[in-house]
Amino acid sequence: MILQNFRKALLGSAAVLLLCSSGAGAQEHSYAPSDIENGRGLYQANCLGCHGNNGDSVEGANLASGRFRRASSDEDLMAIIRNGIPETLMIPRPQLSYGDLRSLVAFLRTMQSGGVQTAQDEAEVTIGDAVRGAELFFGSADCSSCHGVNGGGTRLHPDLAGIGSQRSAFVLQQSILDPRAVVREGQRFYQVTAKDGTTVAGKLLNQDTHSVQLMNEQEKLVSFRKEDLESHGVIPTPMPAYLDVLSATDVADLVAYLLSLTTEQAP
Amino acid sequence: MKLTHTLALAALLPFAVSLATAQEVPPERLLNAASEPGSWLLHHGGYDGQRHSDLTQITPENVGQLDLQWIWQVRSAAGAAQKFEATPLLVDGVLYTVSPPNDVVALDPKTGRVFWTYPYTPSPDARVCCGRVNRGLAIHGTTLFMGAIDGHLLAIDALSGQLKWDVTVADATLGYSLTVAPLVIDDKVIVGPAGGEYGIRGFLVAYNVETGEEEWRFNLVPGPGEAGFESWADPAQEAYKTGGGSIWTTGTYDPELNLMYWGVGNPGPDWNGDSRPGDNLYTESVVALNPDTGELAWHYQYTPHDEMDYDSTQVQVLADIEFEGAQRKVLMTANRNGVFYVIDRTNGEFLLAKPFVAVNWVDGWDEKGRPNQVLAPSEEGTFIMPNNQGATNWYPPSFSPVTGLFYVPSWLDTYSVYTKRPVTYTAGQQYVGAFPTMAMPALGVRPVNQRIPEDGFGAIQAIDPKTGDIVWRHEMTDVTDSGVLSTASNLVFGGGREGFFYALDARTGQELWRENLGGQVASGPISYEIEGKQYIAVNAGGAMFVFALPE
Repeated sequence: MILQNFRKALLGSAAVLLLCSSGAGAQEHSYAPSDIENGRGLYQANCLGCHGNNGDSVEGANLASGRFRRASSDEDLMAIIRNGIPETLMIPRPQLSYGDLRSLVAFLRTMQSGGVQTAQDEAEVTIGDAVRGAELFFGSADCSSCHGVNGGGTRLHPDLAGIGSQRSAFVLQQSILDPRAVVREGQRFYQVTAKDGTTVAGKLLNQDTHSVQLMNEQEKLVSFRKEDLESHGVIPTPMPAYLDVLSATDVADLVAYLLSLTTEQAP
Repeated sequence: MKLTHTLALAALLPFAVSLATAQEVPPERLLNAASEPGSWLLHHGGYDGQRHSDLTQITPENVGQLDLQWIWQVRSAAGAAQKFEATPLLVDGVLYTVSPPNDVVALDPKTGRVFWTYPYTPSPDARVCCGRVNRGLAIHGTTLFMGAIDGHLLAIDALSGQLKWDVTVADATLGYSLTVAPLVIDDKVIVGPAGGEYGIRGFLVAYNVETGEEEWRFNLVPGPGEAGFESWADPAQEAYKTGGGSIWTTGTYDPELNLMYWGVGNPGPDWNGDSRPGDNLYTESVVALNPDTGELAWHYQYTPHDEMDYDSTQVQVLADIEFEGAQRKVLMTANRNGVFYVIDRTNGEFLLAKPFVAVNWVDGWDEKGRPNQVLAPSEEGTFIMPNNQGATNWYPPSFSPVTGLFYVPSWLDTYSVYTKRPVTYTAGQQYVGAFPTMAMPALGVRPVNQRIPEDGFGAIQAIDPKTGDIVWRHEMTDVTDSGVLSTASNLVFGGGREGFFYALDARTGQELWRENLGGQVASGPISYEIEGKQYIAVNAGGAMFVFALPE
């Protein structure tokens, strides 16, 4: 409810709307909401079965990452989708029109966790001043104590280089205001309590029936046998909610800064 | 010189005989497979589909000592698309299996050394929905049979590894493929194509084992003039042409009734049934056919007019059990739709249906066994349990006549959101609708699991077929694509995506032994005996692992 009100307040500010800002990097264009929406349908019909909801079900091909091993340009991507990859499940799809391929690429380039937001959601996001957003990020909002941008931050929290190519304005805004709303696989935190009562928390890396693997708060890789534990399980993300902390303007500026992070440089 | 030669032969003879050197499997041996528990002559062990071994050397008391005997690694990298799913055959000192996608291999079952390989490169036209896989072989005499993902059926000499004949069962460019292990009955080898996501029109077909000539064909989607065609009620009478009805697990057979039982896959298109009004026979059904003629004796449809892709291809397991006070010849199956069924296999009479996982698409059955379906895909999306991969899938269950329990690898608490979208048919392309979303990855190729239990989890469950009740459940953090094997000494072997392979007490589900095989277990384990020693074989990742007790 509070979020709703906040979004209404943002709407009142009559900001310029952009789905994704254009700029250097993997993404070559802004994509029309109708193309993205059409692409979502085509993705569901052609791709989701193997690549999964989040585009990361095929090892070595995380479609949501914005980086593609075999393609850099949109044309490359379209050629792969149309021609397939021999000796894999990726068959040729000659029936897809140029428009279909363009829509699919638009969706891939803007793929979100869960893919739940709509064009309407996007229309309600205000995008502010990226320069001021950067000042906040590294300054008073203190995002950079956890998140790096091409380095910096910690290993426990995602480096945000390139995030502007991978997330929509709506998802970025939601991640700031209400980070518990959507926690992606790979960003889940986990806590184990040993039988002597000592606890260890960290990022969940992997688990099976008998063990669990974490990066602990000291950024070390640790593994526990479940039989040695009193209790264990997922805990809420340590990222604070900034709904009542930052002003609407601050949030809009941060969103603008994050959207500008479209260039992903090699580390 | 001559004397020496004779002596040498005489010295060799007892050795040769002790190896049971027939290395030839006439139909009578298949019919009497139960009389030689040391062999594994049919895909499911026996025609009944029980996957139950009568070998008893490995017991609940000593299973903890199981030792690795050998590992055999496939040549090709086992990736997402190429899981090692084949169940081997064990015939008189030779183990036969298929390295994905379609290389046939003969191995020494004591050492894992290769006798021969028959490499087969499928046509690049091959298109498969869910993996470039093969589930195994069949044997008749000294001939092995393999279906290939490009729609070919091959007959290969079991001793030399040379090709005998090769027929095209169906057109790969239209999405037809063969992943099923063929079924040999008498002098016929029987297969059917996969391709339910490509708008195929499914069938079962029998070929003469010697010549490869077609003997009969039964359309799993009937056309004009055939019984069942009325269940395809689109006014244009076009839907049946792309109606699906695939085959991708091996049928079972009752020699006394002379009926075989095949589970049939989904109707096409998968997730939008608007173009195919009606029940869409014989998709989502079990069909009972005479193997001599291909004639239909009866059918029962598990999911009429399916729009959830709940292929009913799971093994139709046969047993004679006491049911409601009478001895009955039944057929049991744990269906991908989440329901366990018991059916009278003499006539198709519906006896029992009970969910074995969380299910919300059905809320009951009438006395004939027709389900009351309460959910379907919608434009806004419908939350349906179980998910699109289903409560179970191609990996085989087992039935133990000793405990009377049915053991099924299960996916619990899974769901999908099914969204109805328009769909048009293009030859050779997927013909499905919108893939349902789901939290659980379909193929399970990522080596990490960062999910939460609410996303679903796996288990081996023991079901009492008299009631459909779950007697015990062995839970895993991840789901499973591993089949199970039960043994007469009350063991159940199984595994899952985590790479653990384990032995459970068949009576309680208690874990008695486990080993981490370092790759997902995605095959059905078997047991065999050589020179008095019982072995357990299973595939995990890109390798076969074989265990036995220490000397």
